[in-house]
Amino acid sequence: MAEPDAVQTFENGLDAIRGAYAQALSEANDEPSLRLINGRYVGPQGELTQLLKLMPKLPGDRRRELGQLANALKQDVQQAFDHALEAIHRGAREAELTGPALDVTLPGRWPMPGRLHPITRVRNDVLEIFMSLGFDVADGPEVELYENCFDKLGFPPDHPATDEHDTFFIEADGAPNPHAVLLRTQTSTVQVREMTRRQPPLAIVSPGAVYRRDDDATHSPMFFQLEGFLVDTDVTFAELKGVLTLFLRRLFDEHIAVRFRASYFPFVEPGGEVDMSCVFCRAWEGDRERTAACKVCKGTGWMEILGCGMIHPVVFENVGYDPEKYTGFAFGMGLDRIAMLKYGIPNIKLLYDNDVRFLSQF
Amino acid sequence: MLTSFRWLQELCPVDADVHEVAQRISLAGLEVEAIEEKGAGLEAVVIAEVRTRTAHPKRDKLTLVSVFDGEAEHEVVCGAPNVPEPGGRVLFARPGAVLPNGMEIQPRKVGGVESSGMICSESELEIGADADGIFVLAPDHDALPGTPVADALDLRDYILDIGLTPNRPDCLGHIGVAREIGVLFGQSYVPRKVPSPRQTFAAGEAFASGAPTVNLEPRWENGSTSVDAPSLPSVSVDIVDGDRCPRYGAALVTGVTVQPSPFWLRYRLHNLGLRALSNVVDATNLILLEWGHPIHGFDLSKLRGSKVVVRLAKDGETMATLDDVERTFTSDDLLICDGEGPVAVAGVMGGADSEIQDDTENVLIECAYFDPRSVRRTSRRLGLHTDSSHRFERGVDPQAVPSVLASAASLIAELGGGAAATTAIDSVSVPYIPNSIALRPARASRLLGSTVDATESERVLDAIGCRITDKSDAAITVEAPSWRPDLGREVDLIEEVARVRGYDQIPTAVPRVHPSESGTPEFLRFVAALRGAAVTSGLYEAVNYGFVSREELAHARVSTEAIALANPLSEERSVMRTSLMPGLTGAATRAQRHGAVDVRLFELARTYHPNGSALPHEQTTLAIVLAGDAGGWIGGDRHYDFYDGKGVVQAIVDRVLGQEPEIAVGPVPEFMHPKRSAAVSFAGESIGFVGEIHPDVGDALELAGRVVYAELDVAKLDAMGREVGPPQASGLPKFPAVARDIAMLVREEFTAAEIAEALSEGAAGLAETVQLFDLYRGDQIPDGHRSLAFRVTYRDPESTLTDKRVDKVHKQVAALVRDRFDATLR
Repeated sequence: MAEPDAVQTFENGLDAIRGAYAQALSEANDEPSLRLINGRYVGPQGELTQLLKLMPKLPGDRRRELGQLANALKQDVQQAFDHALEAIHRGAREAELTGPALDVTLPGRWPMPGRLHPITRVRNDVLEIFMSLGFDVADGPEVELYENCFDKLGFPPDHPATDEHDTFFIEADGAPNPHAVLLRTQTSTVQVREMTRRQPPLAIVSPGAVYRRDDDATHSPMFFQLEGFLVDTDVTFAELKGVLTLFLRRLFDEHIAVRFRASYFPFVEPGGEVDMSCVFCRAWEGDRERTAACKVCKGTGWMEILGCGMIHPVVFENVGYDPEKYTGFAFGMGLDRIAMLKYGIPNIKLLYDNDVRFLSQF
Repeated sequence: MLTSFRWLQELCPVDADVHEVAQRISLAGLEVEAIEEKGAGLEAVVIAEVRTRTAHPKRDKLTLVSVFDGEAEHEVVCGAPNVPEPGGRVLFARPGAVLPNGMEIQPRKVGGVESSGMICSESELEIGADADGIFVLAPDHDALPGTPVADALDLRDYILDIGLTPNRPDCLGHIGVAREIGVLFGQSYVPRKVPSPRQTFAAGEAFASGAPTVNLEPRWENGSTSVDAPSLPSVSVDIVDGDRCPRYGAALVTGVTVQPSPFWLRYRLHNLGLRALSNVVDATNLILLEWGHPIHGFDLSKLRGSKVVVRLAKDGETMATLDDVERTFTSDDLLICDGEGPVAVAGVMGGADSEIQDDTENVLIECAYFDPRSVRRTSRRLGLHTDSSHRFERGVDPQAVPSVLASAASLIAELGGGAAATTAIDSVSVPYIPNSIALRPARASRLLGSTVDATESERVLDAIGCRITDKSDAAITVEAPSWRPDLGREVDLIEEVARVRGYDQIPTAVPRVHPSESGTPEFLRFVAALRGAAVTSGLYEAVNYGFVSREELAHARVSTEAIALANPLSEERSVMRTSLMPGLTGAATRAQRHGAVDVRLFELARTYHPNGSALPHEQTTLAIVLAGDAGGWIGGDRHYDFYDGKGVVQAIVDRVLGQEPEIAVGPVPEFMHPKRSAAVSFAGESIGFVGEIHPDVGDALELAGRVVYAELDVAKLDAMGREVGPPQASGLPKFPAVARDIAMLVREEFTAAEIAEALSEGAAGLAETVQLFDLYRGDQIPDGHRSLAFRVTYRDPESTLTDKRVDKVHKQVAALVRDRFDATLR
């Protein structure tokens, strides 16, 4: 049932669209208006869509030819739309790339940063070094028996060696020995405990809180130590020197010099103290003037950093090891002191005040 | 200990300067902590002669003095009462001189009269303690005007401050340090004879009634004049408690005149930290500094019955010590008594009644060896730490008694112008037996990790004063010197070898460490991980003291059943904490006072709980505090509340265990807010709590605003972690998920969790997640209600969900919620 008017209408419609679409699309200057204009031709109610609905009314001999024309036009509109859309996108990107910059100084959005305490940081550093050398970590109680803190470590009774250990004792009303329980004054107690519990070979480090009755500008009644010891057959003083030299160079600087001085701790013999190049004036760099003016090492270029020695046979005897069979070394250091050196902390009290202004610096 | 380098060089001269010596002895264990130069910086202070002396026209107490300093005359106004007659010589600081205290001498007017320079006292030049008047040279002094004071008075010296370890009592005197220097510089130390007293008398056995005696003469150089023995009662010594006093010696000097010591002696004592008193007392102190052996001088006339009795005190017995304090003793304190009662606390301090007085003529010098432990206990009990007790408790040389007596008697006689008895009492109750020790060079080599041969061993042992008693291929056996009580077994001798050689001469090696089977306990690794998780969650780590006050515990409403210190430094730190709460919130309080707007702290530490056994239970806890502004990006001003705490706890637990904990209404400590706190559990096990602090407790702790607090039991968390094990992976879903939202109006009484649970339940296994994404109260919402919106994500693991199927399930879910919670769906 062909309608000759239909052909006319169809052809006119195609002509009208063909003449107008390009201009119309090119006038849109953003994506929504482009889409709106496009909709006017190819949307569900669009002119071209409406026209295509006339197809069944076209005479059969023209239908194929006109259909092809319509489809070609639809493709042209689509292509013009794509081009226009791309131009708009490109324009927007161009505008962003050439326009004003962000205020990059506004704060970033990030998860709240936390901070480890400087003593924890130092403890982690120290433990990592010793664990990489094959040492295990161990732990012991802070409230301790007198015998573990002194007797078994070879402190002679009524001896001035305990003078440096001004001890907090635990109240013990009516107990036969009022000094039986105390707050440990040194982490060396862990030597006694671990050696009693285990058999050599042992390679252990043990960090922890210790307590002494000192409270002044340079002392805190609680502070942190780290004890380390190695027990095996044929452990030597040379190895003690080797391990501690390696440790200090890894912890501070691979160039520092390390020297060992004779000293005394009841639980080691030979006993020593270890000095290293002053890390404040970087004494190993050899700038004599800088070292001479250094207040930290008082111009000596050295700073005392730890105590050490070969484990005293009396300690082995007290834990039931044969001192002829086993030898070992032990060392101890103040983690507070290392933290103060590493981070330039001017006053030990800062470590325990928990002032947020201080803690936020680490 | 302070030591004079000059004196050391007199005793054992070595060819090295003070810094070399200091370095060498420091490395060998005598740590030199400071070196102070003496007699330096006084170049502009010279000897001057008084030419005229007239009264000041206006001021009574001032004198106008004209002095000649070798170059010119100077008019000086002097305030001292002892300006000498013309011809007398004084110490004169020329104009421009700088005194040790930093004061520069400038010409100035004093009472209207021009004064140019200053006549100095000992104390102004810091060469003595005397500040009562100016220093006047003895008439027989040969210094000419203009001579620098350092030369005229022989002031040049270095004072070494040696930080001695308690194992080296031998170095508590100059002789010991000199001997050590000799050893280290490879120079043998030769003990020198003591100068003879100018006058001696032969007291013979008559001096000592019944006690064993020793002849002092062989220890003196020759050349004294023998005088007649004075008629004095003989002295008896009775050692009642021999274990406490193995040896007691006494020498006698008669006819002394007590007067001020000569300058050289006062100067030496001053430099070494002691105050000069009188010649006799100063002499005993000089002997102490020389030999490291304390001696005591008694006024013989004050010793009632001419008797010395060494015995333990009776409980409650009393005596006034030299410092004029009345002391009460126990039956563990050793006393020196005369015929009637105590005259000294053995090895600690003399008594006030028998001390040397200005009119003392006859001095009984005590030199003994007391049991170190006994002296230490008494000294500590009395709180009386003296130069004497310091040495006795470390152990003096018991074999030095006769030499010390000879030296002391000679010096006191010399300074006091008296005569010394050639015989001294030497009463031994426990004979000294030297330690016999064998050193195996092979053992030394094995311990040090460096070859030690017999030659080196022998050389060192000989140098330090050991007597070699036996030698074999394997071992050298020696008797340790009596001044080295620290040498008790082989390893002590090995240390001597290492020390004398120098620790720097032992090579370094890196050991092979045998890894243990068990390794580091899991718990310690877990604690480290937990700290990391807390930091990642935005918290700053705090470290508090383990002790607190009982009052703080009470304020915080935590257990006051705490381990108490017997000797706390203060009430504020007198008991061991039973909770981390007081300490951590204390830090928050202080932070708030400083104006910190955002406080978020954690502490991972121990608390201490009495449990009936010898040692308390030490529990490790993670505590968290949040206070102030929660912040956010620019302009967010929201206070921390319960949900911040909950979020931090969830984040931390999730980080260490890989799963979130359950947080629900449950028991919380009394100090927590009853309506804004929750219990934290994991797999049904309670592991802690979180919430806001009870406002009343907050007030007691002086906290401002809402403060969030949480605790997690670290041991339980660790146990849970091991139970949960490592995460187990599953494959990725094969079919897509579909999300649907559901919003509803419900009464407040229903919790978000129970509604979410119902949503999940209604979905018959298809709901993968249910998430609350909106919460609204206010306009258009009736009182007591809230609007909640959830997103339910549906997924069928076995097939693709069709819209139809999802619609059907979602309707079921909605119906269930509507019916169960009386909800109005929106």
